[in-house]
Amino acid sequence: MSTFKLDILTPDRNFFSGNVDNLILPILDGEYGVEAGHEPVVAVVEAGMMRYRVDGEWHYASVSHGLAEIMPDYSVLLVGTAEHPEEIDQMRAQRAKERAEDRLRHKCDIQKYHNNTTALARAVARLKTSKHL
Amino acid sequence: MPSIKEIKKHIKGVESTLKITNAMYLISSASLRKAKANHDKVEPFFEKLRYSFADIFHHSLSLEHPYLDQRPNIKEEDRKIGYIVVTGDKGLAGAYNHNILKSANESILQTKNPVVFVIGQMGRSYFTQKKVRVEEDFFHSTQEPTIRMAVRMRKAILEAFEEGKIDEVWIWYTDMVTPLQLEPKLQKLLPMDKNLFPYETEKETYKRTVEYIPSPDVVFDHLVPEYLTGMLYGCLVESYCSEQSARMTAMDASTKNAKDMLKQLNLSYNRARQGAITQEITEIAGDGLTRD
Repeated sequence: MSTFKLDILTPDRNFFSGNVDNLILPILDGEYGVEAGHEPVVAVVEAGMMRYRVDGEWHYASVSHGLAEIMPDYSVLLVGTAEHPEEIDQMRAQRAKERAEDRLRHKCDIQKYHNNTTALARAVARLKTSKHL
Repeated sequence: MPSIKEIKKHIKGVESTLKITNAMYLISSASLRKAKANHDKVEPFFEKLRYSFADIFHHSLSLEHPYLDQRPNIKEEDRKIGYIVVTGDKGLAGAYNHNILKSANESILQTKNPVVFVIGQMGRSYFTQKKVRVEEDFFHSTQEPTIRMAVRMRKAILEAFEEGKIDEVWIWYTDMVTPLQLEPKLQKLLPMDKNLFPYETEKETYKRTVEYIPSPDVVFDHLVPEYLTGMLYGCLVESYCSEQSARMTAMDASTKNAKDMLKQLNLSYNRARQGAITQEITEIAGDGLTRD
């Protein structure tokens, strides 16, 4: 299977750099799959679980909000944070999820609502990714 | 000629100052190294971001966005221009604070309606003294810049821009060309236009048909804050490195001066001591002669 180069960058570190044959990203309206030779696209990435396949083996990671630049022969993912399943603190993610859910039950202004929904999305993404350890 | 006691006191004073300047030199060289390492870690991310930005700009001709609005219907005399001035928190850094403040003050005096955002204590006290009104809520330290800090600054700036409190945003920072060559620089942040992003069009041809998901506007909405954060962080780190570098040079020079001074003082101390001994011997000898 033909491969393409994938770079995952966050402000803190160079999360991943290497050749992959398949990439699936969480974007605004669902999941977005990328293979080599994809048309040029710039997409907004949402907080969620992403995966990429190296030599037939899937790798999982939770990412927060960011941007993906997809070209026929390479892709670059620019996100705020990215974590491997083994780096995720499950208890902490669970607590964050409960906290966000609790806050969403109360009435609040649109800004807070937005903050809470993104916090919830991040926590759910982490929990989901950590299952793939 | 000063007495031995006076010289000794002077030597002691110079020695303790030497200790301080030497310590400050070591501290700033350590901070500089740390800040540089941080900067290198972050650089690839924002470099890529800048590149994507230039990409979108040059491929989406009909982009309309609040951050691109040049606000042409606001007259020249009514335009409120925001200046972010990055200075140090402390002095004793050679001409670092002086240079940036002088350049910034000149441009502020030339503007009809300046809105000044100051970062760093030195700048704050300078503009207070000059009776220039600075934004009170914008309170940030320049010590060890972090991304988090840049995010807070970006939020404040974008809010002011969106509310129409300012129509343009510029930043004054110090660029470290080489460790010995520090230059105050002015950079435009908002509103954005194509000229801010130099771009080589011939480089890659298939990029002309880039698609944006869900739409160029939404992608742009996400890009701008990130981009601004990167710019602010870059300017903060650059200034911080410049400050440390300036302090290193200044402290190195004063350590050298103190050492020269000590040499001179030791010489005159020894002379005075020798003089005293000679005098004593002469006195004793003279005493003996008269007794004979």
